This record gives sequence, structure tokens and C-alpha cells, in this order.
Amino acid sequence: MSPRSRRLSSRAAGRLTLDAEPYLSCDDCFEQVDVQVDALVSGVSESLPPAFRAHLVGCAACRAEARTLLDLAAHEVGADRDTLLAHFDRELAAGTDLL
Amino acid sequence: MDETEAPTIVSRLPPAGGIAPPVTDDWVARLGSGRDRDQAIAELHGLMLRAARHQIATMSEAHELGWTRREEIVHAAADEATSAVLSRLSRFEGRSRFTTWAYKFAILQTAVEVRRSAWRRRETDLTALGEPASPTTGPEAHAEASDLGRAVDEAMNSVLTDHQRHVAVALLIDGVPIDVLAERLGSNRNALYKTLHDARVRLRNDLTTRGYLGARAPEEATP
Repeated sequence: MSPRSRRLSSRAAGRLTLDAEPYLSCDDCFEQVDVQVDALVSGVSESLPPAFRAHLVGCAACRAEARTLLDLAAHEVGADRDTLLAHFDRELAAGTDLL
Repeated sequence: MDETEAPTIVSRLPPAGGIAPPVTDDWVARLGSGRDRDQAIAELHGLMLRAARHQIATMSEAHELGWTRREEIVHAAADEATSAVLSRLSRFEGRSRFTTWAYKFAILQTAVEVRRSAWRRRETDLTALGEPASPTTGPEAHAEASDLGRAVDEAMNSVLTDHQRHVAVALLIDGVPIDVLAERLGSNRNALYKTLHDARVRLRNDLTTRGYLGARAPEEATP
């Protein structure tokens, strides 16, 4: 099969060349998502570990599910959900205009 | 519930079961071999229902499924998640709240099934490995190609394998959800994300060599 030419926008090119290092697998992301979410909710941590953050930036499915978990966990303890979700979004958006 | 009504979101719900949730140790003990294990399982199922409803409410693609199908997904996901939690109870290490740990199973089950259900209606051939997306059908169809875009296109054809190119095009250009692509290819999310990650690394290396991307700072490369 001979590859064909595509018309890629800047955003598409950005998604394809996204720097998602350090590598973290979806399984490892799932393993730790509850711990990272609770750390944000409880205020133990204000930032995400680099590999976990990089994975959420690079994987739309894990990102969406982590966001839901953060919302639920925040509700569970009566935390300010809007503030936490906005912080979460800013954390992931830092350094990229693709999200 | 009216067909047009949005699924219940968590902010409209009372706390689980209408009472304060048990602390972590209580959950594990009660679900393990406590005298009220059946009651604890019922409460856990209620939590899973809540998480499933919340997840489905956040997904725009769920709206087109209709209320009946959404309810089917919610209940099936809650059932699956309850089983998943019970079967993994001995692996819960208490590093998070029990409820946070348990919620993630229902969220995953729900999200995967919504994505798959929404895409079952679409006539999309996702099996032709290496076939580039048609420039007239994808969401980027009318976007103007950029210099970087042309360079990335060249790199996709020169440094990616057919499988890497197919996965990258499907996920990042055609917008196919990763769980849908995994189902069609007989793969899984983990494997496809690894393929996508490796493709990105190859593209970045090629584009860096050709001067389209800046080199990574050494400190950025340290986990």
C-alpha cells in the first residue's frame, strides 16, 4: 500500500507530536488514579506526578475518567468541586493548547 | 423520567444511601465477611450506580443513545463494577478512600460501554491497517494544512509502521475513541496507547532531526 498525503491542521499535527513523556501505561494510570485524585481533593498535593500528568494529556479516555473521579471524590468530602476541576484542567493544559 | 431529561448528576443526589458512608475499614470488613455483608454489597451497588450515572451524564455521545439504553448501561456497569470491587477487595491497600477506589471501576465500565454503543451505529471501517484518513471525511477536512502539518504527514509515511499509522490516524485525526478502536482491532486500551506513544516518539524524533521541533531539554526527560 502506498501512503497517501493528508491535509493536517496545526492542531492535528500538535496532537500527533504531543510530548507524552515520561511514559505511563493506561493500566498503571488506572492503578493510581484514585490515589492521585484523593491527593488533590485532600490538598496533600497541588500538582500531578509528571508521568501521571503526561498520560492524562496524551490519553483522552483516561483524562475524561479521571476528571469524573475527581468530581465524585470532591463531592464525597464536600470539597469545592468547581475549584478542583478548574485546577485539574489548568494542570493538564499547561504548556499545550490542545486540550 | 422524560426521554429528553439529562441523566441525574451527582450534584442532585443525596449522599450515598442517605447516610454518611462508612469509613474505609468498615467497608472492607463489612464486604469481606461481616454479618451485614449483603447490606454492605447493596450499599456498594448504590455507590456504583451513582458513579455510573455521573459518568454517563458527562458524555455527550451518550445523549444520542436514548434513556432506555443509558439506563441499561448504567445498571450493567454498576453490576460489573460491584463484582470487580468484590473480587479485588484483598488488593485494596487503603492508599485512597475506599469510595474513590471503588468509583473508578464503575466510571471505567460506563465510559467504555458508552463509547462502544455510540460507535456501533456508525458505518466506519476501522480494520484497514495503514489506510490514511480521507481528507474529505475527518473533522479536520476543511482545516488548512500547516507547514508542520505537511512535515508530520511526511513523517507519518516514512517513519511509522502501518499499524502505528493506522492507530494514530484513527485516534487523533478521525476521532475514534480508543476503546472502540481496541474492540474493532481485537486489542485493548493499554496496547493501543503504547502504539500511539511509540508513534509520537518516532514522529517527534524525526521532526526534531529535521528542525521542525525543538530538542527536549534534558531535565524534562527525567521522570
